[in-house]
Amino acid sequence: MECVVQGIIETQHVEALEILLQGLCGVHKERLRIHEICLKSGPNLGPVASEVRLLCDLEQAEPSWTVRHIGGAMRGAGAEQISVLIRTMVESKASKNVLRMFYALGYKLDHELLRVGFAFHFNRGAQITVTVSSVNKMLKLHATDEAVPVTPGIQLVEVTAPATSENYTEIVSAMSSFCEYLAPLLHLSKPGISTGVVPTAAAAAASLMSDGGGTTL
Amino acid sequence: MPVKWVLHWQPNAGTMVNSQILSEVSQCAESINGVKDGRWKTTLTFYRPNLRDPSLPAEFPRDFMGISLLEQPNKYYFIIRGQKIILEADSSILTIMEKLQSYKSKVALNFEGVLYKLGDFQLKIGKVAPSTSESLRGIMMEVEYLPISSVEKSRQVMEEFLNIWREAVAKKSLPGQFMHMEPNYAEYGLLDNYTSQHTAVQYATALAQLIATVQQPPGQPMRN
Repeated sequence: MECVVQGIIETQHVEALEILLQGLCGVHKERLRIHEICLKSGPNLGPVASEVRLLCDLEQAEPSWTVRHIGGAMRGAGAEQISVLIRTMVESKASKNVLRMFYALGYKLDHELLRVGFAFHFNRGAQITVTVSSVNKMLKLHATDEAVPVTPGIQLVEVTAPATSENYTEIVSAMSSFCEYLAPLLHLSKPGISTGVVPTAAAAAASLMSDGGGTTL
Repeated sequence: MPVKWVLHWQPNAGTMVNSQILSEVSQCAESINGVKDGRWKTTLTFYRPNLRDPSLPAEFPRDFMGISLLEQPNKYYFIIRGQKIILEADSSILTIMEKLQSYKSKVALNFEGVLYKLGDFQLKIGKVAPSTSESLRGIMMEVEYLPISSVEKSRQVMEEFLNIWREAVAKKSLPGQFMHMEPNYAEYGLLDNYTSQHTAVQYATALAQLIATVQQPPGQPMRN
């Protein structure tokens, strides 16, 4: 299982977010360049249609592949009251012919994306990962060098943490309190519930840029 | 990692494999000074597509197999022989396949037996049996030469060892012999440097041979 929240931020404020995250996490950012291929089962395969994501990490000298399955979100009155989405998620690292294998098994390409940005991994009551990335689409099949932004000027921020059915309430509370620190710059909510950019972002970013010891405006 | 050859017991025409042969073969390992050093186990599972409407014509691989090796407990291997695909993944791939529900396990075979040490060689001799019963369906053997990890460079020493081994087995006048069918590793995109993926491909190849020779195949007939 994993806990997840998402938000968006204007690209012009990403540098301020990075300074804030650097200060909060105390670790260095990692560059992120992920080619994400979403596959769907062909007709007649499986009792219900299924979907699987293949992630190719292009930051590595030798690109590495991960198979990711995202399952259903936790439902019910309790789940609705919390501000974080809890869902099943399973990952497996795989060798490079994983796309060929899923094609052979009868899976079809649904869409592909290129995520470019950075990530912070740190422990703050939970093993939290924050990714800030621009989401790009390919104009030609697998042409990651010619990708163009899906939403120019806007980047996606995602905060995730692994959880179990025993500890998810603590993980949710650790994540929620962490997200409050980011509130002046962006609002984080369950995926699919877009809350847009926050009006205080410009002022908060300006303040961070002048206080943060980074470049000044 | 060290090079291995996976061999299967091919019974003479008209004869069947039985536990007496397995016991005689194990004695051969001891007769050439093999020292017992624990047990080993490999599991191979055949998967079949889980079709919504089985009456519709469908083009799915009929030879989709998964293999777990004791030497790599956190990994799992998928093989589609027809298309020469070998995939190495974390064993959590099994949870993903379960959640996808697109393929389900049809039959699983266990390969298990005794490990023998003989200087720089390791021998694993064991039986092939369906996971649901103890009935013997075949005999498999793994020969491992610890100092070399190049398939080509080890070929001569492996062949020399097998000559000694076959002489030892011949003394028993058993109705059959061990066969080694080396897969074309390059077709699977595998290089000369030996890996567990080579082992998985060899198991799939040896099993296909074994199924072709036994009278009641545990899985579906396979393309060779």
